[in-house]
Amino acid sequence: MTALLAVADYLPPGRVPIEELAGDFGLTPMQVKVFRRYHRLGSVRRDPHGSLLDLLRGAVAGLDALPGREHRVRYVLHARTFPTVVPYPHNPVRELCRELGLDRATVFAVGHHACASGLLAIDVAGRLLAADADPGGLALVLAGEKAFTPEAGMVPGTSFFGEGASACLVAPAGDRDRVLSYAADLRGEFDTDAPEQALEFQRIYADALAAAVLAAVERAGLTVDAIGVILPHNVNSVAWHQVCRTLGYPRERVVLDNVATAGHVFCADNLVNYRTARQRGLLRPGEPYVMAAAGAGRGATFSAMVLQH
Amino acid sequence: MPEHDTADPALREQLVDTICDLLPLVLKREVTGATADTTLMEALGMSSTTGLELVLELEERLAVEISVEDLGRDDFGTVGSLADYVAGNLLPEA
Repeated sequence: MTALLAVADYLPPGRVPIEELAGDFGLTPMQVKVFRRYHRLGSVRRDPHGSLLDLLRGAVAGLDALPGREHRVRYVLHARTFPTVVPYPHNPVRELCRELGLDRATVFAVGHHACASGLLAIDVAGRLLAADADPGGLALVLAGEKAFTPEAGMVPGTSFFGEGASACLVAPAGDRDRVLSYAADLRGEFDTDAPEQALEFQRIYADALAAAVLAAVERAGLTVDAIGVILPHNVNSVAWHQVCRTLGYPRERVVLDNVATAGHVFCADNLVNYRTARQRGLLRPGEPYVMAAAGAGRGATFSAMVLQH
Repeated sequence: MPEHDTADPALREQLVDTICDLLPLVLKREVTGATADTTLMEALGMSSTTGLELVLELEERLAVEISVEDLGRDDFGTVGSLADYVAGNLLPEA
């Protein structure tokens, strides 16, 4: 059973209040007020002089389990919200692999689930390692992007992206954070620019995300009551409050701490929140927890993964 | 139809009137004939973001503070359902 051997993240120290971003995105003061009052967004992390390589390097530096195991890393996956994360011909993931001495690894990006691609990448890493049947094999799953285009700066009416990164070392088996189940609901009907579909997406968002959580929980043979904590994507707080209402799950047990201070850190949110949950003592040995995310880009994806700490 | 026993009818009427008055401002187009029964999303094509702007505009217009903590999708059903939410979630003046 796939397990996370180590998890780390990096958030750059620079914080930009969302009011300062209003001009860049053509937002009225009232629209910014909605983001702050209702969505509970406050500031986002930005590293104006740093590159994507700097962000990824910062996350990997926290993986204490990696030094000495580099030769066992078979795969390096970069989970992406956006298909293009750097201008051509830069390739920061390969550059990082060179720095780390991960010369035996197959390196590739995982996307098409937008902000839910981080969970997909963990699932893919687990499947590849299981297929290899090498108990010593490892995969390094990276996430994190630069908010370097207007599209990568904000999700209209929903969220602001924050810069940062996560890194996690995936093993084919282990007892640290075992992956019990994964569910992804792909909704191709939202691959359109039609305004009525945008409204429909808003309408079904919380229910579809709640349904993905329920599907993953059921696949793990559990009920929602057994879930100790949910590590969400940081799209905003109110979307998760709605998911909680649908699930009948207490909102206090969804780790929303980083929404107001970091923003939506692309595919890295779940693992950024993993660190916060550990710091707060919310992950208890043996207790199952959920990581969940919704992604919208060309189509929509609602995903959830149940793990056991 | 939901019951509105708890809301003061005069307050609800004032809220419905003010919401209808603010619709052209937040939708940035002419809106005529809106009533308490007008659906915000279906009939007016209002997005959830515009709905939230409407609530905050309402705060400014009436010089009140509204708790948005429990504001859910269902409250944006009609002009009347939004007025009911607001009537039940006015925060006492600081």
